[in-house]
Amino acid sequence: MRHVLRGVVLFLLLALTLPATAGPASGQDSGRPVVRVGTEGTYPPFSFHDPRTQELTGYDIEVVEAIAEKAGWRLEFVETQWDAVFPALDAGRVDLIANQVSVNDERQARYGMSDTYTYSRGVVVRRTGDESIKSLADIRGRTTAQSSTSNWAGVARDAGARVEAVEGFAQAAALLAQGRVDAIVNDNIAVLDYLASTGSTEVEIAGDAGQETSEQALAFREGDQALREQANRAISALKADGTLREISQRYFQADVSVPGGGDADLSGGRGQRGTWEVVGATAWPMFVGLVKVTIPLTALSFAIGLTLALFVALARISNHRVLSGLARAFISLIRGTPLLLQLFIVFYGLPQLGLKFSPFAAALIAFSLNVAGYAAEVVRSAILSVPKGQFEAAAAIGLDYPLTLRRIVLPQAARTAVPPLSNTLISLLKDTSLGSVVLLTELFRESQLAAAESNEFLALYAFAGLYYWIICVGLSAAQKRLETRLSRYVTS
Amino acid sequence: MTDTTEHPAAPRIEVRGLEKAFGDTPVLRGVDFETPRGTSTVLLGPSGSGKTTVLRSLNALETPDSGIIRIDDVEVDFARLPAGRAGRREGVRLRAQSGMVFQSHNLFPHRTVLGNVIEGPVIAQGRPREEAVADAKALLDQVGLADRADAYPAQLSGGQQQRVGIARALALKPRVVLFDEPTSALDPELVGEVLAVIKDLAATGWTMVVVTHEIRFAEQVADQVLFLDGGVIVERGSSAQVIGDPREERTRRFLTRVLGPG
Repeated sequence: MRHVLRGVVLFLLLALTLPATAGPASGQDSGRPVVRVGTEGTYPPFSFHDPRTQELTGYDIEVVEAIAEKAGWRLEFVETQWDAVFPALDAGRVDLIANQVSVNDERQARYGMSDTYTYSRGVVVRRTGDESIKSLADIRGRTTAQSSTSNWAGVARDAGARVEAVEGFAQAAALLAQGRVDAIVNDNIAVLDYLASTGSTEVEIAGDAGQETSEQALAFREGDQALREQANRAISALKADGTLREISQRYFQADVSVPGGGDADLSGGRGQRGTWEVVGATAWPMFVGLVKVTIPLTALSFAIGLTLALFVALARISNHRVLSGLARAFISLIRGTPLLLQLFIVFYGLPQLGLKFSPFAAALIAFSLNVAGYAAEVVRSAILSVPKGQFEAAAAIGLDYPLTLRRIVLPQAARTAVPPLSNTLISLLKDTSLGSVVLLTELFRESQLAAAESNEFLALYAFAGLYYWIICVGLSAAQKRLETRLSRYVTS
Repeated sequence: MTDTTEHPAAPRIEVRGLEKAFGDTPVLRGVDFETPRGTSTVLLGPSGSGKTTVLRSLNALETPDSGIIRIDDVEVDFARLPAGRAGRREGVRLRAQSGMVFQSHNLFPHRTVLGNVIEGPVIAQGRPREEAVADAKALLDQVGLADRADAYPAQLSGGQQQRVGIARALALKPRVVLFDEPTSALDPELVGEVLAVIKDLAATGWTMVVVTHEIRFAEQVADQVLFLDGGVIVERGSSAQVIGDPREERTRRFLTRVLGPG
């Protein structure tokens, strides 16, 4: 028990230092300000991971890197789903968004938009051969798949479509190919890239979504004038010296940084890869996500959660009215609300009270509290399952309450508690995949990134599942051994 | 056993005016008695008479509503017991004077026989482990279980378990040993071995208070018999007197019921 406690204390210390080490490192060129860039990382060819190097790259990434070069910033990329990227900007987790943010009135009013660096047009995508959809007018009353807060979702809604919310273009294309939605409205370049890189013949471009070109720019917080002005000066300079044109030509065989710069052609683009090639290239990053994030997060959350659970359980069974009421309320709240919501409250909600945590720390807090809520009831019933005579005998030989718990009651309660606690641990391991929505690059997020880039949903998700399953099999085996060990004194 | 009492002639246990109610039901209605050093007191009485509550009060497992209990130099006045932590500390001081043997032995199932016996001395009393182990082995020898020190309780018979329970109580080096119906949970053929151990203890000068239904055993071991009914001591005296020639009608009725007529 003592070395367990020591371990927990160590974990807690480690957890406290994590936000500090996860923050921007102040290196030798600390004179340059650190600017954090929010981007999807799953929106090729604008923001994605190069399948060969796993490095974040893309048109928007190269543009913002060129801007940083001119403006003298040091960049730090924060990858998140599209629908979480503006909340991240609002919460001060990122300083700007580089992700083909289309300029519209609403965004102009709420955010500081930079000068335009991409001119594109929207297209309507349909299942190949679906002649019922030829233009934007035809999606009235039909269903489209969009990132719910994207500009294109607005265009689709205005055209009278029902919008099904998705997390990225690859997912939207999959839904369309499967017949679950009727169309997608999106940027023509993103669609061309998808077609070229996946070789998909299941979906095709039906036509333009309206006449106007749309303009994409960097988004800043409204008050962040200085940063935006630095960006605008850099964009002008990059346009003047031909850097933007050069980047654009490389990606699109056309200059999208000016209006009417030619039709993008991505047919010679990133090329296709076989399923096994994709899985093979992703196996390692997924493993790293597993070892560096999923497993430590699971182990730490469980250790902290279990420690909290013990105190909550003791409070719950104590005669102290206030303590037991608080414990009851805590358990009720944790069990009565979704884990995803708890995670969002810690990560997106608490910063509004000035409490900002790194993604790992936020996930650690949310998962630990969640484990505490569930495990407290397990621990409570395990303690109550120990016969009253054991408490009396312990008192009679002179043990006080803490010693009675530690030496007499908890070792016996452990026998009852191990099977249900193992369930909690196994659930927790899998629940950490929710960390993917709070900017945490764990195992599942790695498979998402790769799937968005390659369209190999089945193979990649199945492979990620294999990783989870193997760890769970190991945990089940450990549970069995522990149960045997704890039962050695019971003769049947 | 050394005696630290200032007045060697004073009784080891003194109980005065013990009263307790569970809710509206009174279980003790003024119990007084004394137990001289080195003697055995047996509490007899029908179930619900309050005898177990008296015994558990001596070990502070029950808190009387009022009355005084003194064991050697520790005296607790329950009517003046402070609330909260200070009151609990009083109970702990009283409890440290006695060792308790439970009806259902309450051994710690996850500890070996030796582990059960040394838990109190080493963990609660902070005595050196080697010393406690040596003492424990001597005690196990005394109760006839020297060869089972490494067994777990579940591997022992009921009688053996209860003898471990006795060794565990003695290991605390208490002033008084309390027995709460030590043979009631045992199969009849196992009762004898436990009673033999207790008789042996009485013979070697331990001060004991025993709640039991074994009348023949009480006759042999008791220096003093208290017969309780309805929360009061109805009759008291030597075993020859109370068991052999009871004066009170209630005592007689009880003995007849337990022993059978004749």
